[in-house]
Amino acid sequence: MEFTVLFLAVTVVMLVAWRGPRSLALTLFAAVLFASVATYLHHATDALKLSF
Amino acid sequence: MTRAFAVTLNATGLYALALVLAAAFAAQLLLHELPCPLCLLQRLQFTVLAIGPILNIRWGPRPSHYALSLLAAAIGMAYSTRQVLLHIMPGDAGYGTALLGYHYYTLALIGFAAAIVLLAAILLFDRQFEPDGATPPVANAFARAAVWLVIGLTALNVVSTLLECGFGACAENPVVYELLKGGS
Repeated sequence: MEFTVLFLAVTVVMLVAWRGPRSLALTLFAAVLFASVATYLHHATDALKLSF
Repeated sequence: MTRAFAVTLNATGLYALALVLAAAFAAQLLLHELPCPLCLLQRLQFTVLAIGPILNIRWGPRPSHYALSLLAAAIGMAYSTRQVLLHIMPGDAGYGTALLGYHYYTLALIGFAAAIVLLAAILLFDRQFEPDGATPPVANAFARAAVWLVIGLTALNVVSTLLECGFGACAENPVVYELLKGGS
């Protein structure tokens, strides 16, 4: 679900970058980048399943 | 490098990103391999990388727009480096099928590194940042198609991840589409 929200957020940022105000696009970009890193740090604690 | 040529290069970059996203979809659908959370994060960073070129096409080339793409590529490179390191032990078969001898995360690492080098190279040309009286520039059909193609592929990822992960947290090692499980 978290990835659905992230991809939806990027789609919105792209649409704002293409059609909306520049400052809003930059703000939303920062929010998405922060959310991406937060999601990465969350999954960085996943158990590592070695494939050998 | 003129502003118009820089915009064309940005549009070409968007087509390259669209190719990466389409190839990821092709591997997912044709090989029936579901992307893991770390794989999805790398795919996400390729879409975030596209925001800089979209801004360049809409508002004209600016160093700040290239900086956004550099940030996205650097973070994407960190994600793919982590996945490479997770599978670096001798005897580890890696995650997923190898394409052209490289796993997807290795190809992603090469892709992000290439993006950083290309972005640095295009930043060398100062003339693209000089106003030419047509600010913001009018995007031609080639550039507009590139923008909508990338937006469309990103929107398809919304649907794909919803089918794969459902309404809960994404599985560490996904093997079935959560939302299609009940019907099969």
